[in-house]
Amino acid sequence: MTWPRLASEAKGSNADFAFKLDAVLIGQHPTVVKLRQLIERVARTEATVLISGESGTGKEVVARAIHILSGRRDHAFVPVNCAAIPHDLLESEMFGHERGAFTGASGHRQGLFALANGGTLFLDEIGEMPLILQAKLLRVLEDGVIRPVGSDRGFQVDARVIAASNADLGIAVKRGAFREDLYYRIQVIPMALAPLRERRSDIPILVEHFLHNARERMPGRDVTVSREAMVHLWSYDWPGNVRELENMIERLIIMSNDDVLDTPILPANLVSANRTVDAQIPDKLTEAGLDLNAVVRELEGKLINEALTQTGGNKQAAAKLLGLKRTTFAAKLRRCGVIAPTSGGNEPET
Amino acid sequence: MSIDAADTQARIMVVDDDPDTVTILARYLQREGFATVEALSGPQCLKLVGETHVDVILLDLMMPEMDGFEVVRALKNNPATAEIPIIMVTARDDIESRSEGMRVGVSDFLAKPVFRKQLANRIKAQLDTIATARSIDDALSRIEVARDSAGKK
Repeated sequence: MTWPRLASEAKGSNADFAFKLDAVLIGQHPTVVKLRQLIERVARTEATVLISGESGTGKEVVARAIHILSGRRDHAFVPVNCAAIPHDLLESEMFGHERGAFTGASGHRQGLFALANGGTLFLDEIGEMPLILQAKLLRVLEDGVIRPVGSDRGFQVDARVIAASNADLGIAVKRGAFREDLYYRIQVIPMALAPLRERRSDIPILVEHFLHNARERMPGRDVTVSREAMVHLWSYDWPGNVRELENMIERLIIMSNDDVLDTPILPANLVSANRTVDAQIPDKLTEAGLDLNAVVRELEGKLINEALTQTGGNKQAAAKLLGLKRTTFAAKLRRCGVIAPTSGGNEPET
Repeated sequence: MSIDAADTQARIMVVDDDPDTVTILARYLQREGFATVEALSGPQCLKLVGETHVDVILLDLMMPEMDGFEVVRALKNNPATAEIPIIMVTARDDIESRSEGMRVGVSDFLAKPVFRKQLANRIKAQLDTIATARSIDDALSRIEVARDSAGKK
């Protein structure tokens, strides 16, 4: 393998290349270390890759890294968000169209596939692609021939496809919303990105990285995070993952006059008493409806939890705080799912 | 991924010096489809973890003889057990303990009182991480296989 930009010192190792993978994919958690290894290996192949991960886990970062570390780096990396383009326009966006192919097609237009010729086409949210288009994509992946809308002639394109999805495509296949043959064709190499709450040990490393970036941008400020605030950042579930953490740190720096970011400036829902994934109490009734009993249990559980926390686990005091008799409180404790009371508790229940 | 973890019946070790708490937590975890191993002290945890495969350890902080931090340090210092995720059970507002737990390498915390749903969520998250790591290993070996077969052509 040759490295065009560093041909003289190239030894075929990614480490020689100016791009540093651990500077864009940050963390020391075993899943991240393994992921960097996988990216470096997969970049040297032409395999189609399917990246799966919740929103904000860095799917596009990974796709770009594969492109930059591959022999295609001197050609285009073309990202397409299949969910952001209206379904009826997606085909002509991807494959191009001829003049007069449809109403409004005033001239010939090159598609994104052609734009990615020699490079990489990144199909984000591929699960949102309409079934008809999935069939066409499968054909292109098989023979590499693009047929623009309104044209009866096809032409050869050499683009590596990297796809991504934040939903489990396997489930979409079972539902009939995603073609099984395309699924197996794109996930030659599956790449799973762990949500941040599953690799909390990387949170301080990421926070330090974002603070470092901020210090570079604002030479006058030497921003740090207090120990207590770090515990809260660590304990939060981060449904928006690394992107949410980055935005949060940016926001805290702007909001804070102090160089030490401390607990009082953290949003209330972030302070660990309120972990978002655990307590999901809707603030209004939507068309989807809800299970009232479950919501009531949830709310009871949340308040009982708070009462026990405030009273240091003293059930009598907690009952009083909630205006309940001790026996009623004990019954609720059982019902709302407390399975092991605070230390020193004397009421083991199942 | 989580389906795979459930299929193979993940094994959770529950460590607490209070036998009632251990029994309650273990019984609940069994009902949720997990296999369990029970330990009533830090030394017992370290002994059992060497004898049987464990996927996740649920560890109480406050124990006589050897506290939760010491147990974590011992587990992390042994290459055979260093990668087992540890969920430490602490008081919710115990910032000092959580900060120390982060430092020694705890994977997550669970607040007392322990709620069924929270316990299930925390354990599931750790099992999902294990499944993610395994899927990356699989992908790495798939590339090796592809490369070997390409090399033979």
